[in-house]
Amino acid sequence: MLSVLRSELFKMTTTRATKVILGFAVVLPIVIYVLTLIFAFDGGVMESPAVVNIASVAPLVALLLGVVGVMCATQEYSQGTIRITLVATPHRVRVYVAKVLTTLTIAVVATAVLLVFTMLSSVVILNARDVQFELIGNDGRVVISFFFLTAVLSVFGLSLGLIFKSGPGAISAVLLWPTIAEGMVFGLLSAVTGDNYFRWAPIQNGFQLVSEYIMEDQNSWTVSALILCGFVAVFVFAGASLFTKRDA
Amino acid sequence: MIVVDRLTKTYGAKKAVDDLSFTVAPGRVTGFLGPNGSGKSTTMRCMLGLDAADAGSVTFDGKRYSDLDQPLTHVGSLLDAGDAHKGRSARNHLRWIAMTHGFPESRVDEVLHQVGMSEVAKTKVGKFSLGMRQRLGLAVALLGNPHTIILDEPANGLDPEGIRWTRDVMRSLADSGRSVLVSSHQLVELSLVADDLVVIGQGKLISAGPVSDFMTQHAKSWVRVVSPQFDALAELVVAHGGRVERTQDGGDFHAVTAIQVGEIAAANNIVLHELSSQTGSLEEAFLDATDASVEFRGESSAAQNGGGQ
Ligand SMILES: Nc1ncnc2c1ncn2[C@@H]1O[C@H](COP(=O)(O)OP(=O)(O)O)[C@@H](O)[C@H]1O
Ligand SMILES: [Mg+2]
Repeated sequence: MLSVLRSELFKMTTTRATKVILGFAVVLPIVIYVLTLIFAFDGGVMESPAVVNIASVAPLVALLLGVVGVMCATQEYSQGTIRITLVATPHRVRVYVAKVLTTLTIAVVATAVLLVFTMLSSVVILNARDVQFELIGNDGRVVISFFFLTAVLSVFGLSLGLIFKSGPGAISAVLLWPTIAEGMVFGLLSAVTGDNYFRWAPIQNGFQLVSEYIMEDQNSWTVSALILCGFVAVFVFAGASLFTKRDA
Repeated sequence: MIVVDRLTKTYGAKKAVDDLSFTVAPGRVTGFLGPNGSGKSTTMRCMLGLDAADAGSVTFDGKRYSDLDQPLTHVGSLLDAGDAHKGRSARNHLRWIAMTHGFPESRVDEVLHQVGMSEVAKTKVGKFSLGMRQRLGLAVALLGNPHTIILDEPANGLDPEGIRWTRDVMRSLADSGRSVLVSSHQLVELSLVADDLVVIGQGKLISAGPVSDFMTQHAKSWVRVVSPQFDALAELVVAHGGRVERTQDGGDFHAVTAIQVGEIAAANNIVLHELSSQTGSLEEAFLDATDASVEFRGESSAAQNGGGQ
């Protein structure tokens, strides 16, 4: 099992596409964050706690890591290597578990690198302005939620990749559903029924996990996490059963 | 020893493999022949557990592929030379496969050397010609030093030298006691290396056994005669139940043996300049055997059938 995991990780680190997306997922948010931090000092006063600003890039990071998850599956189909993968390890559950663990490992490491960089740059920039960087209030929970969100969405991406088999289709789904389609579907539901269905939009609930404060009309952290996980679980199940059963 | 037992696979309404049974013996090269679309690749995918068969089974020394521990050390396969990420180097391609079995990196370098690709180990697969990719595919098949080798059309896209090299590799693998199954839609490619033949058409078995058996069963044979008194001889042979086909300097007799023709000529004082037994080529025998089961006919025969408009 460990050998299959090693092989899957190696596959992900030896293609340019994954490296580029991973680079975007880590470097782009750092650049955005540092710029935000520099301009956040309006008249010498920080508008909001540093970690809140870090968390604001979480949805972007999570979606890009979702794309990395997609590629863990679709690169194999587009390049034909899936046949060799399954010939080398006919026990498909093993390959599936290895792919999930690979995706999770990449998501966690990328998030950790990102957080360390952003926090270090916070310390440097804030110190230069004689401000102390410290974790306050819900900061700890926000950081944990950041890891949670990127991990869940990367597995969401992997599952869509296994379902679609084609990169463009799965990447569209992973990017367009949270940013456009989900809002439209739940907006329509709300308009038709007159109730506020936005509250149940799964990926939006996921994005809420990383906010410092929870509004009154929003779900609690636990409820949001459950909604997100329930939604993603459907795709995880579909992806796993298709992958382990269908002809390769 | 591979045993394919009543294998059946359908895609929708299409029966790609139909109740197919055959065996592949160790120490021999078994040619797996059939026209395009006859189900060779499908059979191989089912053998390796990539496609789920509807019925029947395939075993390698008694075990199903999916039950093999460290399968690459038992069975090496090359299904499609294109099954490699174009952006990875040849060496990294072999490395990720080696990792699944915990093979050392030195083994990767060994097989690269074996297929003559040490020089281009760091070159990306996307830069390779089809021939190079076939070599790399063969390296993948050899990686686990398996005792059974399955190759799907390994000569496709190779130049004559490459084809010959592939043939030599297969020969030496079989000579070292391994079971080699190699498919092709061209008999000529295999006639020089195969010991046994499994011939299929439209997913069904047409013939299985030693190449020589296939020849005697399916190849045409006739008697060639050159004689200044050919017409007189022809009349006599026809009277004995033979058929005649005139050629420029003589003719061919069918449905009689050379012995019969010789005796008829001697008994009637007919001078013979040539008397010889002829057999059709392996290729003709193959075309003949699979004629009824060719799914896609070539342009030329389609034009002949549909001509006159
Ligand atoms: N995945 C598939 N889905 C549907 N039909 C298929 C599939 N694979 C093969 N076939 C059909 O099965 C038949 C056998 O194909 P194949 O095994 O590729 O033949 P060969 O390798 O002898 O050329 C063909 O008619 C082909 O169109
Ligand atoms: Mg084929």
